[in-house]
Amino acid sequence: MMKQDGHKDLFSWKNRLKRFKRDNNRWSMYALAIAFLIALPIFAIGFKLFSGPGETWSHIVQHLLWDYTSNSLFLFLVCGLMVVVIGVTCAWLISRYEFPFRPQLEWLLILPLAIPSYIVAYAYAGIFDYGGSLELILRYFELSMTKVDIMNRFGLAFVLSISLFPYVYVSARAFFLNQANNLLEASRMLGAGEGQTFFKLMLPLARPAIIAGLILVLMEVLNDYGAAKYYGVNTFTTGIFRAWFSIGEPETAVYLSALLIVIVFSLILLERWERKNVRVSDNKSNSGGINRIRPARRWKRWMIFIPVFVPVLLGFILPVSQLIYWATLTADKVLGPAFFQLSLQSFGIALIASLFAVILATFLIYFSKWSPLPFIQNVTKIGVLGYAIPGAVIAVGVLIPALGFDKWLIKIGESLLGIDIGLIFTGSLVVLIYAYCVRFLAVAYNPIESTSQKVGQSIPDSSKMLGVGNAKTFFRVEFPLIKTGIFSAFILVFIDVLKELPLTLILKPFRVNTLAVKAYEYASDEMVMESAIPSLLIIVTAVLPVILLNRLLLNR
Amino acid sequence: MLQIKEISKSFDGGKSYALRDVSFGMEKGDVGAIVGESGSGKTTLIRLIAGLERPDAGEIYFQGSLVSSIHKLVPPEKRKIGLVFQEYALFPHLRLIDNVTYGISRMKNKKARAREVLELVDLHGVEDRYPHQLSGGQQQRVALARALAPNPELLILDEPFSNLDAVLRAQLRNQVFEIIKKTGVTAIFVTHDTQDALTVADEILILKDGSLIQQDRAFKLYTQPKSMYVASLFGNTIMLDKALQSAFECPLNPQCCHAIRNENLTINTDCEYVTHAKVLKSTFLGNSTQLDLQLENGHRVSVITHERHIEDHIKIGFNSKDVMEFSS
Repeated sequence: MMKQDGHKDLFSWKNRLKRFKRDNNRWSMYALAIAFLIALPIFAIGFKLFSGPGETWSHIVQHLLWDYTSNSLFLFLVCGLMVVVIGVTCAWLISRYEFPFRPQLEWLLILPLAIPSYIVAYAYAGIFDYGGSLELILRYFELSMTKVDIMNRFGLAFVLSISLFPYVYVSARAFFLNQANNLLEASRMLGAGEGQTFFKLMLPLARPAIIAGLILVLMEVLNDYGAAKYYGVNTFTTGIFRAWFSIGEPETAVYLSALLIVIVFSLILLERWERKNVRVSDNKSNSGGINRIRPARRWKRWMIFIPVFVPVLLGFILPVSQLIYWATLTADKVLGPAFFQLSLQSFGIALIASLFAVILATFLIYFSKWSPLPFIQNVTKIGVLGYAIPGAVIAVGVLIPALGFDKWLIKIGESLLGIDIGLIFTGSLVVLIYAYCVRFLAVAYNPIESTSQKVGQSIPDSSKMLGVGNAKTFFRVEFPLIKTGIFSAFILVFIDVLKELPLTLILKPFRVNTLAVKAYEYASDEMVMESAIPSLLIIVTAVLPVILLNRLLLNR
Repeated sequence: MLQIKEISKSFDGGKSYALRDVSFGMEKGDVGAIVGESGSGKTTLIRLIAGLERPDAGEIYFQGSLVSSIHKLVPPEKRKIGLVFQEYALFPHLRLIDNVTYGISRMKNKKARAREVLELVDLHGVEDRYPHQLSGGQQQRVALARALAPNPELLILDEPFSNLDAVLRAQLRNQVFEIIKKTGVTAIFVTHDTQDALTVADEILILKDGSLIQQDRAFKLYTQPKSMYVASLFGNTIMLDKALQSAFECPLNPQCCHAIRNENLTINTDCEYVTHAKVLKSTFLGNSTQLDLQLENGHRVSVITHERHIEDHIKIGFNSKDVMEFSS
């Protein structure tokens, strides 16, 4: 009986505190510090909400909020439906059937991810414009058709869907390839036809994978600024820009940002809830992959080829062709020492930002591993949230503490030195790099975390048993084993930074420019043709790693 | 040299316990075995001893000094304990020689020491190979050599033979424990195979659901188990319930439970307690035969025998010295 009582005592606050004192080490503190640094912009937005909205807030609520909401809802519904239909159809046909050019199309379908959606938007504007490529081609064949105006929310939904569907394609295909074969065979043995197998069996089973991809698409839809701005569609993100930079009311931008954060968190919760409801067990015994069906008739094989090829055509080949055409027209004007310098600057910024992001992610992962406190593991997951938050919101969240810190420095400067030192952090590279780290930490975190999980616990444990401490174990054993993960993390962040637009627009230093911003500036200044060359440079840089990403997902 | 006092560990904040109030001690030079089913807490126990887990209550003393408690924890790298992991955990990017010298980088003649321990585990000329180039049994021996290289005070082996097939297992078991005896190091190993434990351990600990239910020398554990669970863990056991007691006409203390080992139930020999039985079914098992019997009073029981020729009606019996008695 005495012992029973003793155990109740074991998790009393007093004993918890004793163990906390024993288990709290410097790694816990470092991990917490990094998590705080990453979460700071969100805290800042939450904190700033208390100082009330700006004067135009009530105006926005009355006249614009409905516009933002209805447009965003429209984009959610239309893009959501389109990416699921395109992504799942392609994934299923690619996994299930054998048809002409299937191995090539398998990875070509991922390439639309290499083109930022605002660049796809510019390209399609060029195709459908007065005197645009479509008209030129039709005129060549002496045909004519009624003008299609795509500079509206329908066009925007099309552009976003055709450039974002690979998220759904990739995760659905990974599911079909890794999990499905024995189920498929069982379904066949039970006499189910192809249609029944797909709709009754595969589609419900793939639902968590499809939704995971869909959530990424919806987050990218919220994140988009360039495409919506160019097509003149008012969304939350364009609203944030307008509130801060046209109307000059940061408080209102903060309120809009907070609303966006709420939407994003509901999406995340929805996905978690969905995953809890359906637990599709990992089918580890299945290793062979799907045995593909090869339709006996030739025309049938080409019939399967068409729906898989069309998304590649619309999402990659057409926009890239348009850009190449423009590039040939504008090469003389755009290419030159200034462009070379701009490219160097852009690559340099991406290089520094991805280095920092990778280092921070590695620190966060390993510091929390080295902390014996269980809750640290959960706290560090905050670090991964940045990717869900739209770039414009992160920019707003970063500017608030940066401005506050600068004002404090100015005060100190005045009282101590009697001079006005001006804004030091705001509008500096430091803040820009910091914001990139906040936004893209998750991009670095995932590949590093997954390779480190593959290494397992017993390898570092055995190093410790041989008398080697945490940090040395990392350098001697773990780092050599997770190198590939760190390298792919670096490449992925590098590309994302290179493509990033809204956050860069808000935070970039005055004299500094990036390829993405340059493309955006050309397009906004009615020189959309000139945007082709910086756009193509981004695409070329992004294409190789997209293939790398594909390999990673396949290996997983 | 190792004293564990009322150690407890929970992984879910006290809702359930992986280990609860476990206490035991080990003498220098002994080989101890921790036996239990999966989920009994045996791996948690050795990880606590190694310092890789932190106890929620209780104390661990190693060589006279406190290494784990609710206030204090000596980190694993400072304990001088060697641990051979179940999956060996060799560093895949290092050659064998570098794996073995890993823990002795400050030693003067580390190369010589590495060769010495590799000789000890009977591996020659493999220094420049990588772990993936070795067989499972060889990897196991490298892991042992690597753990022995820094001369640990205590060597722990986690399920050392579970990844090996049956033939290799028996062979390697004898080899490994010969080496351990040769070095004289104190050792603890974890196993779910009672045969491993009986063959090589001086002292055996039985864990069940996070509690230590018996610690004894092998012979005593086999002949005087404290509970039905321990008795049945080490071999086929027949529970002597009321019906069997009446069939054999052997009244036993009704306050206690009783059982008898299958091998002590003899066929057609003279014993203190006997009864007649009819063979309902006989199943050939290879080196033995399982008989489903119906006793005179209608009660049914199965026994395993090494007799080859069994008639339809037999006489079975046992002696009172072979009856095991448990308090519960």
